[in-house]
Amino acid sequence: MAENIFTELYNRVLSLFGQSVQKEENTKDLACNRLRVVLMQDRTNLTPELLERMRKELVELLSKYVEMDKDALELNFEQEGEQMALMLSIPVVRAKNEEEIEAALKEADEKETDSSDEKSSDEKSDDDELQDSDESFEETSDETTDEDSEGEQSTEDEAEKSDEESASDEEVSQEDDEQSSKEQEVSTEEVKSSDKDSKKKNK
Amino acid sequence: MSGRVIVITSGKGGVGKTTTNANIGTALANAGNKVVMIDTDLGLRNLDLLLGLENRIVYTIVDVVEERCKLKQALVKDKKNPNLCLLAAAQTRDKTAVTEEQLKDICEKLKKDFDFILVDCPAGIEQGFQNAVAGASEAIVVTTPEMSAVRDADRIIGLLESKEEIKSYKLLLNRVRPNLIKSNDMMSVDDVVEILSAELIGIIPEDTGIITSTNKGEPVVNDEKSLAGKAYRNVAQRIMGNEVPFLNLEEETSVVKKVKKFFSNLIRKEK
Repeated sequence: MAENIFTELYNRVLSLFGQSVQKEENTKDLACNRLRVVLMQDRTNLTPELLERMRKELVELLSKYVEMDKDALELNFEQEGEQMALMLSIPVVRAKNEEEIEAALKEADEKETDSSDEKSSDEKSDDDELQDSDESFEETSDETTDEDSEGEQSTEDEAEKSDEESASDEEVSQEDDEQSSKEQEVSTEEVKSSDKDSKKKNK
Repeated sequence: MSGRVIVITSGKGGVGKTTTNANIGTALANAGNKVVMIDTDLGLRNLDLLLGLENRIVYTIVDVVEERCKLKQALVKDKKNPNLCLLAAAQTRDKTAVTEEQLKDICEKLKKDFDFILVDCPAGIEQGFQNAVAGASEAIVVTTPEMSAVRDADRIIGLLESKEEIKSYKLLLNRVRPNLIKSNDMMSVDDVVEILSAELIGIIPEDTGIITSTNKGEPVVNDEKSLAGKAYRNVAQRIMGNEVPFLNLEEETSVVKKVKKFFSNLIRKEK
């Protein structure tokens, strides 16, 4: 009770000065987040649906190798001088050990060979869509086309291939302490740009 | 002498391009540089008003390109500082009256006689913007900590990056309100810098003195007491290559603010 009276009194005093304390909570963060999303779209031509798809695919790919906090995954485009960089930041919950990684890879392989026949036609049409909307975005389209062709190859090849892919495409810096349950920030940076051109087009 | 041509631009209107231009120009001239300001906002000229020179304009930039006068005749000297000149925009014409090439040419000629050529750019990203940027090699992007202004600034930065002539651009954050930032109701300086990932050249606090100084036709940098004036003087120093720390805008000085603070602390304790 007492504090209500105090708050009211305070508000009345403040309203004399033309201000009110009862504001929405932290509109600043809201503005920042909305801006980030809208700028990402402005800069790349990626629609929210495509971004969500890219996010999903990245999570799928990376979670084969590390256990991470999927909800905290942050995806941002940043301008670094002439180039545009895709910044990906994911808190790693725990590093997976070798067996787990192998098991995850195997599982993924099986899934793919199982469903490749049914899926391939669907996926292809999706890919076309993706490339149409943003040709410059090699990252996503590469990945999906890789998946496509992998489906037709033997399973052993696939495992090797995805290993190479991850090694070359992403630099995951990570501390040695494998089993630590502490969250580590792993940031991967993927720069793919002929993007200056695309930016010019956009503007 | 080979002067530096700096375009002051923003994308969005009303964020303080012209005010920034008048103040930085005056501050640079007061620091001993020879400065000329070019108003390229044809049809909507205002720089003359901010400098209090509206009654002295005889020829405009359009008269220069259409050869009704010599370039030197069209330069209006400032009332106080003979180092400061204005090349005014025509009020009765539109943006097509001057071309990119003509503006480039004017800038080249002025470079010989002045240390700094400040080009006041119109709002928008159309021909007016293209003209203003044509002769410049540096840019100052003015924005405020509001979403629409930041978004437009991002677009302008993208356009500037695609221009080979623009060698560098810096960000000037205008109309910053420390109280709102403190209460988390306005994006902070760091937020804006991070989102735009651009180098900062100045932080200007919101200042009612700007309005009164416009009324008088005298830039706020001439007011020694004004915080915004001080911030603009610092920007001029940074343009000249001197390192000046950014102002701490968090200081609360007025009595009203102190009373408010006392009450807010009280409320916090109660809660």
